[in-house]
Amino acid sequence: MEHTQNRMTLFYWALVAVFIVFVLRLFQIQVLRSDFYGSAAQDSQLKQYEVPARRGSLYGYDGDRIVPLVLNESTYRITVDPELITPDKRPEIARQLADILKQPSQDIEEILAQDGRYAIVATKQPKAIKDRVDESELPGVFTNEIIPQRVYVQGGLAPQVLGFVNDAAEGNYGVEQALQKSLAGVPGRVKALTDQNNVPLLATNDNIQQDPVDGADVVLTLDVSMQRQAEKLLERGLTRAKSKSGSVIVMESATGAIKSMANYPAYDPAEFSAVEDPALFVNTSVSSPLEPGSVMKVLTVAAALEEGAVSAEQSYEDPGVYTVDTEPIRNVTHGAGTRTVSDVLELSLNTGATWLLMQLGGGELNEEGRTVWHDYLTERYFFGVPTGIEQGSGSESAGAVPDPVEGFARNITYANTSFGQGVSTTPLQMAAAVNAVINGGTYQQPHLVAGERLSDTAIDIHDHAPRRQDVVSASTSETLRGYMENVVVKNNQAAAREGYRVGGKTGTAEIANPDGGYFSDTFNGTYVGYVGGDVPEYTIFVRVDEPGIPGFAGSSAAAPLFADISNMLIDNFSVPRVSQ
Amino acid sequence: MTKRSVRQPSLSQPRKTRFSSSSVQPNVQRARHTTNERRGSGDDSRLSGIRRHTPDYGLLVAVCALLMCGAVVVYAIGPGLTIGNSLPDNYFSTKQITAILLGIVTFAVAGSLPVALWRRLQTPIIASAAVIALAVRFVGESINGAHRWIEVGGFSFQAAELIKLALVLGLAYFLAEKSRARLMHTPQTLYQIGALVIAVLFVVAGLQSDLGSAAVMVAMIGMMSFAAGLPMKRLGAMFVVAVVLVGLAIGTSEYRRDRVATFLNPQADCQDEGYQACQALITIGSGGLTGKGLGRSVQAYGYLPEPANDSIFAIVAEKFGFVGSVTMVGVFWLLFRKIYSIARRSVDMYTQLLVFGILVWLSVQMMINVAAMLGLIPLKGITLPFVSYGGTSIIFVMVAMGIVFAASRYTDLSAVGVGAGAGGANSKRTHTQALRRRR
Repeated sequence: MEHTQNRMTLFYWALVAVFIVFVLRLFQIQVLRSDFYGSAAQDSQLKQYEVPARRGSLYGYDGDRIVPLVLNESTYRITVDPELITPDKRPEIARQLADILKQPSQDIEEILAQDGRYAIVATKQPKAIKDRVDESELPGVFTNEIIPQRVYVQGGLAPQVLGFVNDAAEGNYGVEQALQKSLAGVPGRVKALTDQNNVPLLATNDNIQQDPVDGADVVLTLDVSMQRQAEKLLERGLTRAKSKSGSVIVMESATGAIKSMANYPAYDPAEFSAVEDPALFVNTSVSSPLEPGSVMKVLTVAAALEEGAVSAEQSYEDPGVYTVDTEPIRNVTHGAGTRTVSDVLELSLNTGATWLLMQLGGGELNEEGRTVWHDYLTERYFFGVPTGIEQGSGSESAGAVPDPVEGFARNITYANTSFGQGVSTTPLQMAAAVNAVINGGTYQQPHLVAGERLSDTAIDIHDHAPRRQDVVSASTSETLRGYMENVVVKNNQAAAREGYRVGGKTGTAEIANPDGGYFSDTFNGTYVGYVGGDVPEYTIFVRVDEPGIPGFAGSSAAAPLFADISNMLIDNFSVPRVSQ
Repeated sequence: MTKRSVRQPSLSQPRKTRFSSSSVQPNVQRARHTTNERRGSGDDSRLSGIRRHTPDYGLLVAVCALLMCGAVVVYAIGPGLTIGNSLPDNYFSTKQITAILLGIVTFAVAGSLPVALWRRLQTPIIASAAVIALAVRFVGESINGAHRWIEVGGFSFQAAELIKLALVLGLAYFLAEKSRARLMHTPQTLYQIGALVIAVLFVVAGLQSDLGSAAVMVAMIGMMSFAAGLPMKRLGAMFVVAVVLVGLAIGTSEYRRDRVATFLNPQADCQDEGYQACQALITIGSGGLTGKGLGRSVQAYGYLPEPANDSIFAIVAEKFGFVGSVTMVGVFWLLFRKIYSIARRSVDMYTQLLVFGILVWLSVQMMINVAAMLGLIPLKGITLPFVSYGGTSIIFVMVAMGIVFAASRYTDLSAVGVGAGAGGANSKRTHTQALRRRR
């Protein structure tokens, strides 16, 4: 036994030696290298992340009432921690989830059998589904991830104008992109020690919390019922004209507020991810410049009148053809004869527009006339620069105005611009410029944002200062209205209405071929005009791309659509009558 | 090593009793206490001639300190561990406290039974251990590919704990018998021991894939045989065989090969294979000198696997720092020192080997656990005795402590325990106290 005791003692001292090693090792890890391990722990434990702010909602008008356009809804992600679900429980849990989610039980069981501690079973589930999952109290199944979702309470109205919000909560296209910053708000910041699933552990001093600032609720100028009707009329008009695309803009003449902006074809913003062609996302009313065609003549006439180059009642001898820089300028339908300024619009005379440009240069096409006209195009009608409307940054096109001095064959180039060719504008630019000419001479800033909704009863209306108040004089403006109402009476009877002043002008624009020159067989039909009583109430721009029916695109395709819109406004949107 | 410097002056040859004839032939001289013999209590004191005396309550203090520490840590991190599953907040602490209370009851029962009684109980215990060891393979619950648990009435029963108890009882008897018969030198004994090692490796390491427990059991067989007097040459041969077998075990399993590779370079792959080793070091290291505090553990929540169980030492080190972890190591040392001392001073070979076997069981298990946490050996899934969450471990460890406690009543108080080098003064006092008690 003494032998035994000695051997036990040997074991005991070996144990003591091991314990001394333990203490030394603990000293090394916990005292000498404690900073190293401490920071290694912090690196993995300290998480800084954002608490998302609520995205601002979008509102519009229905008459004078403010109504919601786009709201938020919380949807839920159903996730599982496969490690908490033992294999024998998988079939039962999968069956119950399948029952609630209406998914094949087999697929769910495969997800439950995945490796790791996190797997997604379903996303974008409404609260009702989340509640049912919660009630079933399935182990290892979680519903605490909230994913905000845009809800389009007015249906898919004005999708290109509104844009959509992608899964990363970023606004894409339209107002959503333009106002991303104010709609998104400021996310809250949380810096916290977390467990491995990033759930903050509450009992630490290192936690920092900063509450999120919710995004602003924005009220748009759009009138939802007007927008809805405009979209319907546009679609009908395009079908009638056998056209594949087009757009309608209705602007409040006195303010520049956009009441409708319809583009066709459109898409459903709630299902944006199903859209295959990204071109559908584009708001062509602000993004696609086109050669405006004869609608430009309204602006040419206004410039010549405003400059005093011609008088309102003046007549002139039209030769029927001008040869400029060896190129002939002809009218589409009318030959030589004595014409008035009013005829330039009524008969849509290209030679008349050229004659007006000559008058700006003192009777001939020259640099002086070109420069004056160029200044009108860029300084008064604001072509060549974006309007600054609240649409996705960079998505608005500036259009193009040729230089009056530099370059080859300036005279023919400029003669062309006087009747709307060789110059490009977006539909919105044209609508805003014509609006300035007919509303008394003020270029109103075109805008989509009316203000910010502060509560159910309070809204903060934003000011949109006019860009220029002396585009033309009040008398020039009145003269132009007379001309344009004459055009409607003579050429677009369907739009003319007893007791209202309705004016307009067609445009049939050649389509520039990217390879140079113009397509000879296709045209875009445009129509610009207004409707009102003593003063214009709404300025309207209509575009019908490449109509497939016979006749001039402007008069056969765009004019009837304009009439539909102007009558719709008179019938349903209380346009004041002319006072007797 | 230690020599007995002081002996009881009145020693006599042992009387043969019913027990001694069938089991142990003590080869030491023992004190004569006729009064005690007359009482005829039937326990070992009759043969040793040592009267039942006050047990070592220090043992109880150390055990309670460790149990409480475990309960407090499980209570502190338990609610965090229930996040994400539908368990109630106090699930883990309730189960742990229940296990501790059960453990205290088993301790009280085992502690009041005479040590000799375990020789009678060993046959059913060994039989049931053998049955369960094999049954767990077939009806047991597989967790992470290891068959170690068996469901008994809603409780997960860890087979290895019962096997350890059976092993320590059986070996103590077997080796004491061999030693008495002076057969420790025979090749037959060596073969029997070798066969036992192979059986343990086959069943525990092989069938149950529980390499940690297998290591503890092989250490128990090795150290107990060593203490019982197996010649060093034979022991060396056995060691070589064990090394070869462990090498084979590692070589044949990709999982074990990876573990060894991970151990050799744990920092290289903190994300994957070496993750657990790396996280254990981070957990311990981030505790620093004084710890983060009881409620401020972070690593427990998902970073460190098995925070309440195999990794609880790291959580203690995180919460209470260097001060706490060294204190815990110190309490373990005090406990082991006491068990060692009781083993040394036990007066018959069987008790000596039984208590020593329990010492090897608990201390090797504790050392494997702590060494793994400290990155000194490859990680093993093994519980820290008394502290780790888990009912089976606590109950069986408490049975073992009950046996030690019972044995502490019959130690030779004159014998020198630990620190024999201290010389006579200490021993003399012990002797005097012993005499005083006998009066």
